[in-house]
Amino acid sequence: MVDLATAAPIVGASFLASTVEIVEAFTIVLAVSVVRGIRPAALGTGAALAVLGLAVALFGPLLSSVPIHGLQLVIGVLLLVFGLGWLRKAVLRAGGVLALHDEDAAFSKETEVLRRGDADARAADWLAGVAAFKAVLLEGTEVVFIVLAVGARPGLLLPSALGAAAACVLVLGAGALIRKPLARIPENSLKFAVGALLTGFGVFWVSEGLDAPFPGGDWPILALVALFLAIALAMVGLLRGRRASVA
Amino acid sequence: MDVLRSLGAMIFKMFAADLGLTLIALADVALTALALRAHAVSPAWAPFLLVAGVCAALAVGVWRGVRNP
Repeated sequence: MVDLATAAPIVGASFLASTVEIVEAFTIVLAVSVVRGIRPAALGTGAALAVLGLAVALFGPLLSSVPIHGLQLVIGVLLLVFGLGWLRKAVLRAGGVLALHDEDAAFSKETEVLRRGDADARAADWLAGVAAFKAVLLEGTEVVFIVLAVGARPGLLLPSALGAAAACVLVLGAGALIRKPLARIPENSLKFAVGALLTGFGVFWVSEGLDAPFPGGDWPILALVALFLAIALAMVGLLRGRRASVA
Repeated sequence: MDVLRSLGAMIFKMFAADLGLTLIALADVALTALALRAHAVSPAWAPFLLVAGVCAALAVGVWRGVRNP
């Protein structure tokens, strides 16, 4: 039985990370459905979900045949690199170095591209379906990676999958209600939290994979997440202070 | 074909958007593993060595990002 201290960060990490990815995919699928109708959007989304499901069915069972320490080391390194990338980007965005991600702008750009290809209705539907397929496949690949990586220990795959499923229900439910891009979701704040969570899990899995675990069971995961969050926030403060002194 | 190319580019971006950051993180893990194997560091200290390296990797990644956004 997985205890709460272990399951809560797993569900939280999977939920937050999946929310960011699903919001991005939803923006494109919504643009497709607004410009070309629900059919190409549903077909593209369904085909991408089928491909992702097939990939999980094929590669998922292979994971259980890999020795647990080796798996944790490999997954930990991947999580570490992935999480650090997110954290770096979130710091640069919050510090004003990079522009914030804008779902409204992404939606406008996608609808513009889809409208331009309006000459032949069948070809336009096909292109719209491919756009939905690509968006769901690309963002979904990241969700699958996050679910498998965060849950890379016996008994943790279910809480990890539950977190992603909850994100899916929340984003699709909100999207179905408002039928607009979910621009008010604070994506950079989410990216901040997720970057710290994934980096924390990455360090924790790597140390377990190297057979040099942190003292204190699973609790250090929370301490690591808090540490990386604090360091990243301090970096944002430094960047903002530096920009203010330059201005 | 375009979908496969995008998938490849996305996977590359996932793990190597900033190659310097990725290489420092990988070097941190490799050095910690080597230090453990050579008994140069005890297993009790190794996780903290790992954390220090990760903080350094993040600092370098952000610094590089500021210099070359």
